Amino acid sequence: MTIDGQSVTVPPGTLIVEAAKNVGVEIPVFCYHHKLDPVGACRLCLVDIAPGPPRPQTACTTPVAPNMVIKTQSAMAVQARAEILEFELVNHPLDCPVCDKGGECPLQDFTFRHGYPTSRIDGPRLHFKKPIPLSANIALDRERCVLCYRCTRYYDEIAWEQELTTGQRGVQSFITSQFDQPLTSIFSGNIIDLCPVGALTSRVWRFESRPWDMTQTGSVCSKCAVGCSVTLWQRRGQLVRVTSRENDDIDEGWICDRGRFDYTDVNDPKRLRVPVVKGAGSTWNTAIDALAAGIKGKGPKLGISLPQDLTNEEAFLFRRLLDGPLKGAKVKMHGRTALPEPDPNQLLIKEIDDARVIVVVASDTEKDVPVVNLRIKKAVSKRGAQLIVVHPDGVDLDRNPHTVHVRNAAGSAAAEVEKLASHELLKSPGGPVAILFGDGHGSEDAADLAAACAELASKVGGKVMPLYRATNERGALDAGVAGWDKLDGVQALLSWGPPPTAGIPSSVKFLATWDHLQRPDHSRAAVVLPATTFAEQQGSYTNLEGRVQFLRPPIPVAEPLKESWEVLTELAVALGLELGYTGIFAVQRDAAQTLPGLADLAEPPSPTPVPTPVLIGPAHP
Amino acid sequence: MPELRGTVGGPVVTEWFGTQDLYKLDVYKQKGGYAALRKAMVDMKPVDITNEVKTSGLRGRGGAGFATGTKWGFINRDMPGPKYVVVNADESEPGTSKDRYIIENSPHMVLEGIMIAAYAVGANQAWVYIRGEYDEPYRMLTEAIAEARAAGYLGPKPMGIDFPLDIRLYRGHGAYICGEETALLESLEGKRAQPRSRPPFPAVKGAWGRPTLLNNVETLATVPWIVNHGGSEYAKRGTEKSPGTRLMSVSGNVKKPGVYEVELGQTFRHVIMELGGGPPDGRNVKVFWPGGSSAPVLPESMLDTHTDMEALAAARSMGGSGGVIVMDDSHCIIRAAHRLLKFYAHESCGKCTPCRVGGDWAVRTYERILANEGSQVELDILQRVSDALQNGRCLCGLGDSAGWVIDSTIRHFRSEYEDHALRHECNVGAVTALA
Repeated sequence: MTIDGQSVTVPPGTLIVEAAKNVGVEIPVFCYHHKLDPVGACRLCLVDIAPGPPRPQTACTTPVAPNMVIKTQSAMAVQARAEILEFELVNHPLDCPVCDKGGECPLQDFTFRHGYPTSRIDGPRLHFKKPIPLSANIALDRERCVLCYRCTRYYDEIAWEQELTTGQRGVQSFITSQFDQPLTSIFSGNIIDLCPVGALTSRVWRFESRPWDMTQTGSVCSKCAVGCSVTLWQRRGQLVRVTSRENDDIDEGWICDRGRFDYTDVNDPKRLRVPVVKGAGSTWNTAIDALAAGIKGKGPKLGISLPQDLTNEEAFLFRRLLDGPLKGAKVKMHGRTALPEPDPNQLLIKEIDDARVIVVVASDTEKDVPVVNLRIKKAVSKRGAQLIVVHPDGVDLDRNPHTVHVRNAAGSAAAEVEKLASHELLKSPGGPVAILFGDGHGSEDAADLAAACAELASKVGGKVMPLYRATNERGALDAGVAGWDKLDGVQALLSWGPPPTAGIPSSVKFLATWDHLQRPDHSRAAVVLPATTFAEQQGSYTNLEGRVQFLRPPIPVAEPLKESWEVLTELAVALGLELGYTGIFAVQRDAAQTLPGLADLAEPPSPTPVPTPVLIGPAHP
Repeated sequence: MPELRGTVGGPVVTEWFGTQDLYKLDVYKQKGGYAALRKAMVDMKPVDITNEVKTSGLRGRGGAGFATGTKWGFINRDMPGPKYVVVNADESEPGTSKDRYIIENSPHMVLEGIMIAAYAVGANQAWVYIRGEYDEPYRMLTEAIAEARAAGYLGPKPMGIDFPLDIRLYRGHGAYICGEETALLESLEGKRAQPRSRPPFPAVKGAWGRPTLLNNVETLATVPWIVNHGGSEYAKRGTEKSPGTRLMSVSGNVKKPGVYEVELGQTFRHVIMELGGGPPDGRNVKVFWPGGSSAPVLPESMLDTHTDMEALAAARSMGGSGGVIVMDDSHCIIRAAHRLLKFYAHESCGKCTPCRVGGDWAVRTYERILANEGSQVELDILQRVSDALQNGRCLCGLGDSAGWVIDSTIRHFRSEYEDHALRHECNVGAVTALA
């Protein structure tokens, strides 16, 4: 087929709007989004198609056909698109100077590139009450809305929620939350990225900065073990925004609200920035010496609580300490599951797409691994997979009426999984089977369950995915530091990150904390070290499927903050272990050689450049 | 019971209308009802029924005028899984009342047509999507269905053939857009009535994603006659490309408004002046809508246009739903167009941009003209909005219809528009009549 004189070959069934991207022809779209079903509502993608009726047709709903000739620049098509853009602007408030979307707004850009150069619009514009808070995090401006229905379709198709809908009809139509109740879905923030205009904006970021004032890095989310790709936006040393960054292997462009909105702690004015010894500010040397003195030679009387977003590099350095001066210390990793190290028959997230039957055991995936939950929903609703859930309670995936829900008594999941081998759906699944299992938040015997799932997988020809929860649980397991010890009775405690969930044991006489925020417990601490956050530190995470991904911090580590590898190296010296690392690359090289699970650290890929907002498709691909 | 008023070449749909109590099953059977269903199910193969309809040349009477037999042929009868017949009884087109007339006179004829269609396409379930305001037709259809069930025409084995068949009614809630076939399906499924993008057409993916045959009441009511008398007999009526007869609802400024069965190819002069009795004494026809309010208007000078679809297309209008609205020369065309545009803007579902915004913009422009604030700018805006609503810009036909109202009234009455917009005067006598 030809598009504007350029010949292009694409697989059958490809939509014209997608084919045009291959040859760099821009067909403007509002309602079309490559992850949503085409709907043909905004009519902006009108092009001239031959052979066909003598009128423009929508490129977003028309699949290509052999020898089709498509003209985007014929007089008919150009005029049709300009007219649609003029219609979009009839009631648009044109408050671009105060609109968060200004500068990365498809409506602005398309109007410049495809619209009429002058305005003929006069008379009063339609008004709505605005802004409407859709939830604590999202504001809706109905006047800016072009009613592309991306948000409501996303809610229906991708998130399986019934929280967002359209009210009224005709020109009075508006987007509204169901019964005006606040949105509660953990996936609500994605509608901000989907919105092609400034109608849906983040209340966390609202009026914070303009797109051209920010720099961005393509990083990895630090909130759970899925490891979604995110873009971190920085302005004047502040992390001002987190948006999704499409990675079809993991997240397909969706992130959850934890990843999107839970970042303001980075900019907290009360963040710890100087080491504190006995309640007074101090130097790093003094603080590290005091820490070393407090924990040296304590053996099993030393307890160490690790944060869930410990990087691989930190885990490796920590392993060196545990092998040496801190040998015998009790280690507890924050938020980790009881799941053992993974089976070699490991399922990848993207392989869920092709599964014919998906078995989810002992996990409410919406809460444990949110974006994997979306992937399961996609496999079910867009690809016709069958779904079996083994869980004592109702879970998010029950929204699908065809879900087979086996309600087990807590603790009996392994036994139920064994029975599943003879389940009707698994007798002849007709394709790959995906088995995902959690630990029931401690209610199940994780080792038994893992064994039962592995056995089921071998019987029905499937693969398994243990659903780790802590961000770098998998990397910590690889480094051998993902402790699961009870901290009761320890005399000295190094609390790294947030305090242990069970609280600080009363037996503790020497408390040291290494944290980025001030917390009440810190008043008891002899030593408080300031920590960096995911927005500042370098390093890598291994996600639940074993993929090593690197953080790309947008904010430099400003003095007196110190990078964690440096702190750990200095602590090692103070404890009498000379590690001799001069930079994080040396740590990574050494880790790669020493620990097979971290072999991918050997050659950190050069950062993928984050594309400047592209106007074909989503605003932030 | 309204009397049968003048048809040419023998009536088809209204053949038995006027019979006392025709709505009752036994009277309908006595006249020869359900013979066509017996013939279709017992003597004919499904494909023969479809071929007979193809031979008849019957074209859809809902508005688009698509060949009925061809539409039936699109449905893959051998495809496993459910298929549906959905009957469009939403009849919301202004100026159209023929479906109501048919249902109220002979509900069983409609049911018989539905059953024949369902058997022909292999659908075991049919739905009648009936306009919410139609209380009496709804009640009559409900009773007729109960009678048909009791008599075994609907049920597990109609006519002794192992082909379970059922018809259910669904009442609309009063939106014009529900008459659009895909919006009707959305509404039937319990969703917001908004049209779907086509393709896929309902024949492939219709109600609940299954192959669905969607026909108008009048179309299906014609089917029993075609099965009884043969498709070629039907094709003798009308013109070559628009065979048969159709029911025309004549309304507006005529002495004898009503529903008339007219052989296609007759002139509108015959329909309006003879059947409808012409305009009130002392008045002349100014303009008429030949096929419901959605069809572009034709001025009095085009009264001799023929009623077949080809002749209407040549006159840059269309046969539409057969609702003939007549307006006499006491009325101002701008006010009429403004009122219609208000209707289209109000009934726009809001899904596609041009219809959602364009209709409303045109209404506001008309309001400026009528408030004597018009100028050449307003005329240009109207023309531009009209162009931007037509020819594939919109998702469904509603936007096109709104555009046609503007376009056709400007085309035929430009001087009147200029009087209003440029000279701020109305040169029509009793301008308040439609205000």
